[in-house]
Amino acid sequence: MNNAYLVFKNLTRNKLRLFLNSFAILIAFLLFGFLGSLQNAFDSGVELSADDRLMVVNKINFTQPLPIAYVNKIKAIEGVKDVTHANWFGGYYQDPRQQAMTFAVDAESYLRVYDNLVLDEKSQKDWLSNQQGMIVGERMATSYGWSVGDRIPLSSNIFSQTNGSNTWDLTISGIFKPSNPQTDTNFILIHYKYFNETQKWGGNRIGWLPITTLDPSLNQSVADAIDKQFANSSAETETSTESQFNKAFLEQLGDIGFIISGVVVAGFFTILLVVGTSMAQNVSERTGEIAVLKTLGFTSKRIFGLILSESLLLALFGGLLGLFFAGFFVTGASQEPQLKNILPNLIMSQDIVLRSLAYMLILGFVTGFIPAWRAMQLNIIDAFNKN
Amino acid sequence: MNSLIKQILAVIGMNIRSLPQRFWTSLTTMLSIAVVVGVLLAFLAMSDGFDKTLNSSGADDVAVILNAGSQAELNSGLSGEVVKIVTDAPGIAKNENGPITSPELYVIVDGIKKTSLTEVNLPLRGLSLNGLKLRNNVKIIQGRMFQPGKNELVVGASILDQFNGFDLGRQVSLGGVTWTVVGVFDAAGSVFASEIWADYRAVQTQFNRGNSFQVVRVKLETAGDLSKIEAFIKADPRLSMDVTTESEYFSEQSSGVAVLMGLGWGMAIFMAFGALAGALNTMYTSVAARSVEIATLRAIGFKGIAAFCGTMVESVVLAFIGGVLGTLAVFVLFDGITTSTMGASFSQIVFSFDLSASAFITGIQFALIIGLVGGFFPAWRASRIPVVVAFTAST
Repeated sequence: MNNAYLVFKNLTRNKLRLFLNSFAILIAFLLFGFLGSLQNAFDSGVELSADDRLMVVNKINFTQPLPIAYVNKIKAIEGVKDVTHANWFGGYYQDPRQQAMTFAVDAESYLRVYDNLVLDEKSQKDWLSNQQGMIVGERMATSYGWSVGDRIPLSSNIFSQTNGSNTWDLTISGIFKPSNPQTDTNFILIHYKYFNETQKWGGNRIGWLPITTLDPSLNQSVADAIDKQFANSSAETETSTESQFNKAFLEQLGDIGFIISGVVVAGFFTILLVVGTSMAQNVSERTGEIAVLKTLGFTSKRIFGLILSESLLLALFGGLLGLFFAGFFVTGASQEPQLKNILPNLIMSQDIVLRSLAYMLILGFVTGFIPAWRAMQLNIIDAFNKN
Repeated sequence: MNSLIKQILAVIGMNIRSLPQRFWTSLTTMLSIAVVVGVLLAFLAMSDGFDKTLNSSGADDVAVILNAGSQAELNSGLSGEVVKIVTDAPGIAKNENGPITSPELYVIVDGIKKTSLTEVNLPLRGLSLNGLKLRNNVKIIQGRMFQPGKNELVVGASILDQFNGFDLGRQVSLGGVTWTVVGVFDAAGSVFASEIWADYRAVQTQFNRGNSFQVVRVKLETAGDLSKIEAFIKADPRLSMDVTTESEYFSEQSSGVAVLMGLGWGMAIFMAFGALAGALNTMYTSVAARSVEIATLRAIGFKGIAAFCGTMVESVVLAFIGGVLGTLAVFVLFDGITTSTMGASFSQIVFSFDLSASAFITGIQFALIIGLVGGFFPAWRASRIPVVVAFTAST
């Protein structure tokens, strides 16, 4: 009798229990895989920030504008490598409830500062030469089925044109790709100059200034120098690193994220507890059999190994199935338009997969170890007496 | 008939009394059901609390007029001229000074959240004293109201409670201009309690808004009747606006939380399946452990239905205790906790977790469903155990 056969027979002896246990483990890892991916998507904005990128915003709040003259003033500050600027356009496509995130930017410098957005040379040239051109992130282009050359009526829920309409007719000059798969590309970039000239309120105002420094070690001194320069003016600035900025923004969602993750951890581990108890029981019911195996000459070590591999196998079987379904749900959810705006970079990362695998092994080990240890220590005479 | 009831009661008693023999599996089943119910109730308490805040904010006899397509006060922009035109529309209630209207501005300023010490978006509303006529539940509880034209702020009670930087008497610097917090107002748990208010002229000057506004609130002649205003806007080519009642406006703002609630229910249902697997396992084990006993009872004349009921009740009792435990835990940990999140208008909305009686009932129902389903199949098996098992000694 080889070991694999014994383990298999023991696993499948009570098919109902095997099914129930696998199912509970499946659910636990399905939840973990799915919600872990959600959490990761929340955090990825912070983790993926470039360490030499700073954000300059109005000190009152980042939704308040800044004068466009700040671009050149900041460029002159020592340690600053590149300066660009962006405005929130409040874009939507056809349905006002379906936000299409759009920024009006200075095209050339924006692509330089955000070098993690990859645009081929021809598209870049086309965009720079076409005032009414826009470039669209790969994710957004895919979800709307857009391709280069399409004419898209893009509306704004904030601005309107001088002619009263709040819809701009724009042509797609190119589709940009992310340099890292988790980088968000669910947005549109349009020309600030064209936007500023055609919108009714006018005013040469910009939303915020992303800048790069010559070296990350200069970040603090550059930030201080910028904020000092505009202190006590009517548009004071607040400069922070991109990761600080993104983090602060996410914090605004508040304790809700914390509640979700806390609750998930509780649920996940309770299910594991249930399964663990049942697995331990599974083995303790077989005391008599184990005594027989020992009488037949099975070494204690071999029995220990048999029982441990049985629980490991069960944990991996249920867990991998759960992870598979989680992957399926994550893919489904990432296509959901409402989630797409909140969590543009929802994918199941390698990190989640590895962590799940680690938990599966821990589950298998913890639930198998004590019964396996007891089986190993089992005194044959006692066991037969008990029966 | 009487004897059948006696049988059933006897078997139930035996099942319950033998619970300690299966202490760990019973306990984990109970715990897993408690967690499932707890998760569900935590989400319910959160969304009920949030909804309660939004629903208590909107009035049916107040209309909110925004620039067409803007969806939220923050995005909207209305020039002084169009505001003047629309405030003369028919259907607006009047008093001795004319139509009761309040043109307002809505901008965002930074505050510091006390629990995390991070910067958050707080709404600053610019309005005239007329705005108070459209909000009956607002009253000053400390200090005084702002004076027209002055750089003075009054803050909602929730702002004082949850955020730093806007204490009474404090000087606040916005773009080099100093503002003073002169009063605190209570807004009866509505969204307005999470707002900072100032005179609209001062806000227009501070934020370079010229003579423009963002939203106009008007008192309706007939509650809920927007038809006259809508017709008026449609007839005038200079006007391009959306009109909703205030209550409808705020209930649309809660759609983001609906997504979260969907997630909460989805999670609770998935976890319930996990807990169900646990409960089934426990009950099957219970039946297997007592199969000799059950068969013996059958041999001396007990009916199958008695065995069925015994297992069923055991399962339901476990589930019920689990459900109560989960509910109590949520009640102790979450009920009344005040927190804030970013609402649809891009700024913080303060709300309290609110565990309502109906949520409590939902939770217990949820637990009982798990208990019933988890008990049914094992109970069925118990009622089918053949008498012969009693005589075949160990299984």
